[in-house]
Amino acid sequence: MGRLLKFNIFRYNPQDPESTPHMESFVLEETDSMTLFIVLNRIREEQDPSLQFDFCCRAGICGSCGMVINGRPGLACHTKTKDLPEEITLLPLPVFQLVGDLSVDTGSWFRELYDTVESWIHTKKQFDPNAPEERMEDAVAESIYELDRCIECGCCVAACGTARMRPDFLGAAGINKVGRFLIDPRDERTEQDYYEIIGNDMGIFGCMGLLACEDVCPKHMPLQDQLGFLRRKMGITALKNFFRK
Amino acid sequence: MQVPLTANHQSLRNHRLDGVLDWAQMLSGVGLILFMWAHMLLVGSVLLSPGIMNGIADFFESSGMAQVGGPLIFLLFLGHFVLAARKIPFRLEGQKTILEQAKLLHHQDTWLWVVQATTAMVILIMGAIHMWAVLSDLPIVALKCAETLQKNSGWLLFYLVLAPLVHVHLGIGLYRIAVKWGFVGRAGRKGLKRFVNLLILVSVGISVLTLFRFWFMTV
Repeated sequence: MGRLLKFNIFRYNPQDPESTPHMESFVLEETDSMTLFIVLNRIREEQDPSLQFDFCCRAGICGSCGMVINGRPGLACHTKTKDLPEEITLLPLPVFQLVGDLSVDTGSWFRELYDTVESWIHTKKQFDPNAPEERMEDAVAESIYELDRCIECGCCVAACGTARMRPDFLGAAGINKVGRFLIDPRDERTEQDYYEIIGNDMGIFGCMGLLACEDVCPKHMPLQDQLGFLRRKMGITALKNFFRK
Repeated sequence: MQVPLTANHQSLRNHRLDGVLDWAQMLSGVGLILFMWAHMLLVGSVLLSPGIMNGIADFFESSGMAQVGGPLIFLLFLGHFVLAARKIPFRLEGQKTILEQAKLLHHQDTWLWVVQATTAMVILIMGAIHMWAVLSDLPIVALKCAETLQKNSGWLLFYLVLAPLVHVHLGIGLYRIAVKWGFVGRAGRKGLKRFVNLLILVSVGISVLTLFRFWFMTV
């Protein structure tokens, strides 16, 4: 017989005036290779069909099942119960708007982020659908891909002390997004254009270097290095602007 | 097709000062770190001999560096506080948020920031008292320092609190600057932490030994 696991789960439905935020406990027997994704589905199927949580791919790709697992933001589908103690507390990700129980609306937050950082290739070239795709050095393509691996689960934002204190902070996901376009040769934005977006306390200079983003990222994105690189780059732009006044 | 905006017009130079203030915060921090290490070594020279310490103090006083440099360091100290305070929550709401976050995450670097901000407040007050007490009673002589500590053990207690707090704050600050500006990357973070821990231990050790040297000095 497997361990009996106790799950303390945050329950609250903001749509229901009768509902109040509280914790509810569920007990489940552990099975082989059990993930929190399996746990939550079993609880919903066997014990409480009203339990709300998000999932889609169950493979760490869609970024829907981010939640706070024993204090740390992480993906439910990526987290095996064998790595956790017998008592497990699950909370919704902070910062984002609560949909209900463990489900939060990361979509609207990221939508706003895309608008702020203008998360698309900026070019004056007219797109020719018949022309062969422009070539790019392998090394450049790989570095872009490395930064594009972000699945936008929101774990880095939820773990960030700055994001908790300042709602306008772009978070590691947002700043990393700018870094991704900055190294893309197809994007014609200048250093000043990027500085306009992240060269302030809402962006890179707001980052206090707590590095929780780096430590919780389920995709192990190189956030520490990326934030350091952008701080230096934007720092130099700040000095150039200051002394050219 | 949506027309991208930014690339199609000449970009304006951004005059926001956030980046310059971030530089100033970092550089004032580095300046204070260097000053404090020098200060620790100069005062710590009493461990070798009170004569060496007196000689060094006399050099700084007779050349006027203590009289001019002291107030300048005090200004740098206040300036660093004002710059760093931009990031510290002074409202209860913000303080509760960051404390809750640190407790929830069990994340060392988030806790280190809480320690850094808290020690900053104590150092602001105690450091100001220390600077006033020393600079308003020049010259600095080993025997006089010993007498002050021995006559009033409150001063010993004061420095036994202040010195470790300063070195912990300095260590965390150094670590933070290195990782925040990317001078130390992902691969070097663990090693940097070990180095900073050792640095704090050695610095606190030298400072405490210096204090006890004064405490046990024959006056």
